[in-house]
Amino acid sequence: MLSVKNLCKEFKSGEHKVLAVNNLNMEVPDGIFASIIGRSGSGKSTLLSMLGALDKPTSGEIIVDNTDIAKMGDRKLIKYRRDKIGFVFQSYNLVPNLTAIENVMLPMEFAGMNKNAQESRASKLLKSVGLTEDKYLRRPKRLSGGEQQRVAIARALANKPKLILADEPTGNLDSSTGSIIIKLLKNLAKSEGTTIIAVTHDIGIANQAEKTFTLKDGKLTN
Amino acid sequence: MGVFHRGVRNAFRNTVRSASVIFILALSICMALIMFMSLKTVQTKIDSVKSSIGNIVTVSPAGIRGFEGGGQLLTSENVKTVSEINNVTKVVSVLNDRVNNGTDTNLQSAIEAGNFGNRQGNRQFRTNDSSNTAINNSITQRTFTPPIQIVATSDLSNTASLNVAQFEITSGTLFDVNTSDNVALVGKDLATKNSLNVDSTFQAYSKDIKVVGIYDTGNAFTNSSLVVPLVTLQNLSDQSGLISEMVVQTSSIDSVGSVANDIKTALGNSADVVSQQDNSNSAIAPLQNIKTISLYGLIGSLVAGSIIILLTIVMIVRERRQEIGVLKAIGASNALVITQFSVESLVLTLTSSVLGILLGIVLSNPILNVLVNNSTSSTTPSGPGGGGGREFARLGAGIINGSTNSIRNLHNVIGIDIILYGLLAAIAIALIGSAIPSYMIAKVRPAEVLRSE
Ligand SMILES: Nc1ncnc2c1ncn2[C@@H]1O[C@H](COP(=O)(O)OP(=O)(O)O)[C@@H](O)[C@H]1O
Ligand SMILES: [Mg+2]
Repeated sequence: MLSVKNLCKEFKSGEHKVLAVNNLNMEVPDGIFASIIGRSGSGKSTLLSMLGALDKPTSGEIIVDNTDIAKMGDRKLIKYRRDKIGFVFQSYNLVPNLTAIENVMLPMEFAGMNKNAQESRASKLLKSVGLTEDKYLRRPKRLSGGEQQRVAIARALANKPKLILADEPTGNLDSSTGSIIIKLLKNLAKSEGTTIIAVTHDIGIANQAEKTFTLKDGKLTN
Repeated sequence: MGVFHRGVRNAFRNTVRSASVIFILALSICMALIMFMSLKTVQTKIDSVKSSIGNIVTVSPAGIRGFEGGGQLLTSENVKTVSEINNVTKVVSVLNDRVNNGTDTNLQSAIEAGNFGNRQGNRQFRTNDSSNTAINNSITQRTFTPPIQIVATSDLSNTASLNVAQFEITSGTLFDVNTSDNVALVGKDLATKNSLNVDSTFQAYSKDIKVVGIYDTGNAFTNSSLVVPLVTLQNLSDQSGLISEMVVQTSSIDSVGSVANDIKTALGNSADVVSQQDNSNSAIAPLQNIKTISLYGLIGSLVAGSIIILLTIVMIVRERRQEIGVLKAIGASNALVITQFSVESLVLTLTSSVLGILLGIVLSNPILNVLVNNSTSSTTPSGPGGGGGREFARLGAGIINGSTNSIRNLHNVIGIDIILYGLLAAIAIALIGSAIPSYMIAKVRPAEVLRSE
């Protein structure tokens, strides 16, 4: 269970203050596929970045595995990001001069896994996201958007995370590829017991989720 | 694939840029290396010029140079005064005299009079017999025999006091410098001319003088001279206790100036003091110029190299800001990302320095030559000129010619140590060049990755 209590995030630029997340409370049961919808600027990315420890909340608690990550020190946060979280981005964000398989191996290298183990797990993951083997050694530039997002999902799964956070994962894809990617995410979540929280604009995708949160001005509306 | 492998691979990610950066950086490392080598070479040369000039001050009687001028000779009292001055390690007393064939000695000079000698000789007759115009006019081409020079020194091992560069006994032995016996060392040419051998005798000052040794100085003038014990010459020439030159040795090259001043103060108007300090300064000046140029060049090229690599890495970090954020978002620590970029910067600088060292090996000597030629032509050494006494001519010719030659002979030598210094400099440049980018890397917030979408 992931639970968020009284979460606030305030951005200051000089005199100007923006309350991007405003006293937000939410609970996400383990192993489900949840979606977050809301208009642009409603605070979805900000919420996601705090769940993934990319940013620190101004106030409030984020309880994962009975620990409040809002109170963690930097070293623990690096480990948390590495071991507990998998990120999937709208623009894939693969490292451009690494091959598909090297991109997937990267988080495992950070975790200190030996090279052979990295390689065999990476190819297993690439296979499970449906990338054909001839593309393992290609650089991102030579992969289609859908293929890059498959690689990104494989990379997110590399260290068997507890939680996958996806920020508009289909935003750059056509709708048929998008629905394939969502199906992939859903299936993996089921088979690996991973919780998935996906931010989306697409009502069709949101409707497939077991739980949907709607954000407006940094607050949940439902 | 580890962080090092990634760093190395990233260094050549943009081939054109990496090649240009490596090339420019290699040039500045090459420059730094050359400047460093010049600095070392020139410093060595300065030291050797200084030590070749030596730690010597020459004291002559006021108004007297060799056999020119006039005044009072120096006394053993003067020698005592000088030897008590601070930093004076040794005082060698010298007395010079000359004897003429026929009147003073039965020896014949080994030197042919030639045009120069005849001119000098006739002039002397004219001045001596100026009242007798008849003789003066009638004897226009009187044959002249150069006089024979006699040198006496209190230290035979001191070649400076003998006014020679080398003094080698070819047969016989040296005499005891403290003896008052009528003995002499005879120059090789003079011995041949007069058929003298060890143990033969000749006449001078109406006395029989015994030959104890024959010497070779490698120089025609002194090879036609005599060397006798100091006391002997003082007795023979009726100049008891008098000397015509003191050669003063100081404890170090750096104390030459102060010793010269102290001697001037102590002896006042009775002596002319010539230290080789001034000459050495003018001899070293062009070397000092090269040293200064090299030092600035060294600093300049190191700074330039650091700036080049700094700007390059700053540019790379800004360009890959998104990638840095992603690496952090998927679990890389700051240290790891910084290591990766430092490896990249190190690969660039090490590649550059290998290239720079190779360039340096090829270019160092031509560049040093350019430096030397420019600075020697810009400081014209004050040559011996006319009118200067024997002393000055000797110093002038010896030191100034000697040192300009030695400047021209500067030669850069590339040693392992210099290559090591080069690599150390490269690593230093790489680290300096990575410091600011590292700070920038640490400042990248992983949350930015989401923002840019
Ligand atoms: N780093 C930041 N500095 C200043 N304001 C920010 C920053 N990040 C987000 N915001 C503001 O917070 C609000 C929420 O942004 P965001 O979470 O990106 O919205 P969404 O992802 O739902 O479109 C917006 O008004 C945005 O301008
Ligand atoms: Mg967003």
